[in-house]
Amino acid sequence: MDFLNTLLIGITAGSIYSLMAISMVLVWRSTRVVNFAQAGMALLSTYFGFEAVTKLGSFWIALPVAMLGGALVAALVEMILIRLLVKHSSSGPIAGVAPIIATLGLLGVIRASASMIWGGQDVRIVGPVSNDGFTINGTTLVFSPLKLLILVTVLVLMLILSLVFQKTNIGLALRASAYSPEIARLSGIKVDWVRTLGWALAGAAGAVAGMFQTVNGNGTLSPDSIEFSLLLVSGFIAAVIGGLDSLIGAVIGGLVLGLMISFVLMYISSGLFFIAPFVILLLVLFIRPQGIFGAKAARRA
Amino acid sequence: MHKKQSRDLLLFILGGVVLYFLSGMVDELRVYQGASIAVYVIAISSIILLTGYSGQVSLGHGALMAVGAYAAAVARIELQAPIILCFVIAVLAAAIGGALLGAAAARLSGPYLAGTTLALAIGLPSLANQFSVLGGEQGLLFDVGFPPLSLGEEFTQYKWFFWIAALAALISMWAVKNILSSRYGRTWRAIRGNEVAAQLSGINIARSKILAFTISAGIAGLAGALLSMTIGTVSPSAFPLALSFSLLTGAVLSGITTLGGAMIGAVVLVAIPEVADAVANRIGSSERVTTNLPGFLVSALLILTVLFVPNGPVEQHRARKAKKKNYLS
Repeated sequence: MDFLNTLLIGITAGSIYSLMAISMVLVWRSTRVVNFAQAGMALLSTYFGFEAVTKLGSFWIALPVAMLGGALVAALVEMILIRLLVKHSSSGPIAGVAPIIATLGLLGVIRASASMIWGGQDVRIVGPVSNDGFTINGTTLVFSPLKLLILVTVLVLMLILSLVFQKTNIGLALRASAYSPEIARLSGIKVDWVRTLGWALAGAAGAVAGMFQTVNGNGTLSPDSIEFSLLLVSGFIAAVIGGLDSLIGAVIGGLVLGLMISFVLMYISSGLFFIAPFVILLLVLFIRPQGIFGAKAARRA
Repeated sequence: MHKKQSRDLLLFILGGVVLYFLSGMVDELRVYQGASIAVYVIAISSIILLTGYSGQVSLGHGALMAVGAYAAAVARIELQAPIILCFVIAVLAAAIGGALLGAAAARLSGPYLAGTTLALAIGLPSLANQFSVLGGEQGLLFDVGFPPLSLGEEFTQYKWFFWIAALAALISMWAVKNILSSRYGRTWRAIRGNEVAAQLSGINIARSKILAFTISAGIAGLAGALLSMTIGTVSPSAFPLALSFSLLTGAVLSGITTLGGAMIGAVVLVAIPEVADAVANRIGSSERVTTNLPGFLVSALLILTVLFVPNGPVEQHRARKAKKKNYLS
């Protein structure tokens, strides 16, 4: 029973990490920036969702509100910060590290602003269904209707995203711009706008991850909460496991990470909460630095 | 070269003398802040060495500072080691940690390295809770003892902290300056400039990168031990993620390749909480604005600097001057 519980918890947490990893990958593909502020943007969108839940009373209205808010914030960040960054800091010794530093600064700004606006009060989001475990043959599982709902929603969103990427012109433009911006531009794609769109999609995905991470935890939301530090680290690690360039890789990376953390906490020690992801990341980078689904060539990002 | 080095040494000694007299003239709070500035100068110079010269990013220097601080405190408590030995142990322990991290880092670049060190910065301090010898959440006491009596009755504890920190800062700045202008410094710049070209001219990339990480970590460890000296304790909460970010901000503000600018970054980092306090008082805001304003200012400053003065004020000034000269001639 322990085993089944650990497995199901791992898969649920992993599906949330997958969403976070997807948003990292979308940003990486569109602008070649690893966005360390992604979890911060997810946090901000979750606060939007919280406002919507308290004002409108329904989780199912709040979720799209959070997604829309997340998409808007991300699009603005791309249009203002990232474009300025490309213009001003693409030469000199700082060039290689400027995007990293700028997105970290953004993370700090978002965290501090969120603390100023919402900090101190008890911010709570109640999930749409109960988080009490299913009972089978008299034993209660940790797996709950809420966790099932999270799994299904994440699955549906991924399906929609993959349909968009495979079947629509927008998806084609996104893929072309990621593959070769020059050629995409020559064939008439407005690469700048496609980039903004990539960021917006990432913002929406991050918003869902933030909302679910909150209700899947204890429901409270705070800028310094462990949930969001974990989201920050695990989104990045899941994306790296998958290879940063691949959406399927991100999904699998998230699930692998979720399961590994879950089993380590269950069978080794629950004190390894933050160290476990770090060790997993190092293992992956040593064995396959390009990630499971990454391209063969050595990365000189 | 030799002449220039002895001139530099003279300058550092002169700086020490000025600091010596200055510490006698200002009040206690300023002396304490002076000690903090000295600690930040050391920490920032470790980032400048690593990021500005060898081109590697570390968001984990807060964690490396923690390693140094814990090593010093354990040496003090368990072995009753003399204070100088504690600092040496701090440097060595952090350098070993840095060598391990550097071995991993040598295989990574850019965002991968940043993410890995970020995971470390979040994870490592919480590990302290796992071992009872490290004192858990409360942490350990780290007491460097009273100033020697020979310095006189009126010599305060803070002044003693300042003397130790300032001396350490002078020595480590001098050491870093020499390392950077040595063969190793040139090797690192070559790698940062073009890795493939550096490799073709016979530079062992991995070894140089690991060396840079080791030295930088050792310096960070010293800064960590000094930081915990000024606080009096070593605990996980003294080394939050925000510390790693502050150091990066300080280094970017100083100019990521301008070692002499470390002073600018350090002064700004120490001044920000005071400025934030003053601003918050002026607009009469609530408590949660006051507590978060410093963090906000640090991050906003980081973004603005990267966008508008990406290579630091000193470098910017130099570039503008060079441009003007070219234009005139």
